[in-house]
Amino acid sequence: MLELHVWGPAFFLPSIDPQCLATIAYFVQAVPKEAWVLVASSDPSLSPTNELPALKNGETWVSRFRNIVDYLWQYSNGEWGLDRSLDGLEKADKAAFSAFIEAKGQPLLDLSFYVSSQNYYGKISPAYGTILQWPNQWIIPPKLRNAAKARTEHLGLSSLDLQAIEEQRSREHSAAVAAGKIPKNLIQRPQDTVSSLLGKTPQQNKFKLDALTAEFFEPLQELLGHKTYFLSDKCPSTLDCLALGYLSLSYIPDLPYPWLRESLQTKAPRLVLYVEGMRRKCFGLVGVSDSFSPSPNTSLLPWRPPEGVTISRIGSTLVNTLADATPILRDIRMNNRLQEVAKSSDSGLSPQEKRAISSFAEARKLDTYISVATAITIVGAFFGYMFHEGLIVAKSDVDKERGGEAEVALNIEDII
Amino acid sequence: MPDCHNGQAPERPTDDQDEIDPTQAPAVSSPPVRQLFSVPTPIKRIFDRFPLVIYPPNELPTRLAPHARCNRLFVFLDIAGARQRKPSFNPQCLRWQAYLKFVGIDFELVPSTNHASPSGALPYLLPAPSVESPLPIPAHKLQKWAIEQVHCEEEQQISVRFDVYASLLDHRIRNAWLYQLYLDNDNFNAVARRLYVNFATSSTIVRAALAIQLQQAARDELRKYSDYIDVNDLEAEAGNAFEALSILLGSATYFFDRGKPGFFDASVFAYTHLILEENMMWKHNRLGQLLRRHENLVQHRERILEDYFGNR
Repeated sequence: MLELHVWGPAFFLPSIDPQCLATIAYFVQAVPKEAWVLVASSDPSLSPTNELPALKNGETWVSRFRNIVDYLWQYSNGEWGLDRSLDGLEKADKAAFSAFIEAKGQPLLDLSFYVSSQNYYGKISPAYGTILQWPNQWIIPPKLRNAAKARTEHLGLSSLDLQAIEEQRSREHSAAVAAGKIPKNLIQRPQDTVSSLLGKTPQQNKFKLDALTAEFFEPLQELLGHKTYFLSDKCPSTLDCLALGYLSLSYIPDLPYPWLRESLQTKAPRLVLYVEGMRRKCFGLVGVSDSFSPSPNTSLLPWRPPEGVTISRIGSTLVNTLADATPILRDIRMNNRLQEVAKSSDSGLSPQEKRAISSFAEARKLDTYISVATAITIVGAFFGYMFHEGLIVAKSDVDKERGGEAEVALNIEDII
Repeated sequence: MPDCHNGQAPERPTDDQDEIDPTQAPAVSSPPVRQLFSVPTPIKRIFDRFPLVIYPPNELPTRLAPHARCNRLFVFLDIAGARQRKPSFNPQCLRWQAYLKFVGIDFELVPSTNHASPSGALPYLLPAPSVESPLPIPAHKLQKWAIEQVHCEEEQQISVRFDVYASLLDHRIRNAWLYQLYLDNDNFNAVARRLYVNFATSSTIVRAALAIQLQQAARDELRKYSDYIDVNDLEAEAGNAFEALSILLGSATYFFDRGKPGFFDASVFAYTHLILEENMMWKHNRLGQLLRRHENLVQHRERILEDYFGNR
């Protein structure tokens, strides 16, 4: 029996993650229903690569959409493949449009789900709250949000995050208070974002968002044309699964700031029809309760409830989170994870690849040691300097100089 | 607390002695919280004197004057290579170098590093002074500038597939390239260290720091999308990307069946040339193996190399 582990359901869709949705769509269309189960485990640490979606078959784990599709193809000797009938140009289009959807769709979902603070606090964070167990519901959403912010930094739309703007304003204010004491050329000007040039309301971001969404939706609509599926009229392909994953999350969630959904409706009405049809066919309506207490008659999907949470699991989550938040420990763990992959005999890597991975991990280990040594040296030098200046020993001396220094220390904090 | 001393602030730098004198200490009786982490006196004195002196900007070096009549493109390249107008060894630079050649804009190459660029990235172009805007043009505005200069076609309009297939280059192939050049240790030492690090400086310490920074930047870029860098996945995706590009090119001379090469050809050539170029001296060239399976892409590269770079 194949077990597909995914992020749990949200917004009446079977998963909150586009890659998971794509994988589920592929299973529904290619694999017979009795051959697999769907587990909304919502815990990436289950899989050795720390990623979802992940497919478990006995002891073997396969993660990522494309790897899972390849694995199914090999596992079933080509029987469970969707792309058998594609010819030359269709194959090229499949590869190119898949890359295109991932490259352009991911930033849009990141902006809509995580960077827009109204959406994140209003809907996304609560949605994760219902599918995650304690303590993950406090740990995972902020982590995903930070990753999304890092991915979309280059687009210059960080002003969608109204909360961060508010924080920056208060920082600027406190800087302005101290400004009387800081020479003008030391005060940093805040970075100009699109909205600070145009005004501060979220509507002003529309220009840039409009360009981004048009860039994404229009080529897809043109490829779809009046066909049933993206590449042919008769049968779906992996491209349809991927497109469904990203487009359904763009269109279906009812978010407080619905710019992505609105632009899909106005720019690509045919895609809306496509998403609605495909969704009915592949997913049906999914509630969060379906995944935890499945009733076989109502659901299109072969849900199996995830394993109950145990004390040891909570403990290991807490320990892992703490370890991953500690700078140097994080690097060491990262290396070990890579090396484990290289060493495990059934990882399916050729000897050359194993060598490459372990040499990469070795190099990282060296980096880690260098950073440990640097940190120790710097801390040592700092304390050495403090002893030398007598800052640590003599209390009375410090008292004497306190008056002027406390003030300067304050100013320096403001500069930083 | 800062508020109550606003009046005194301008006088402080002139009279240091006042502050050490406890009788002049502020009237506010705050508890001694900052003992350990307060600023040491010598550092404080330096900050009191800020800014020390502000010098006017330097004159441009006189050796630059004779070049100033021509457009200058700043790229990653060695000095000998620049004189012989060789292709740059950085894909982003090579893309624009090739594109400007294709549309027929004359320019001179200037070897540079990204520390010299106003935007922090190469390439950028400094137009000849006779042209209206003397400001440097960063890479993302170069195409618009070229269109204004020579009124060539904006090729993105030709086909909906232009942007779609470009994402194969900008993501799939670029990610595999980042891995092969920076994170494969043998390649990094043999290729990247020689081209980017040793060329930039002769100081051992700076070289070591620069090398670590380069690798870290590549790693961060790849880890934006997943915690775990899957080498097989990167290579398989790059293989699929080459296959798709090869099908798109078909038996035509240039992409999208145009009579002369354009922006898309330049983008493809930037990677295919560097992957196949023997002077790069790759230790492991997995991308090269994948690329050689597609004869038409190899010929596409050779054609451009002969016609536009004088087969050097």
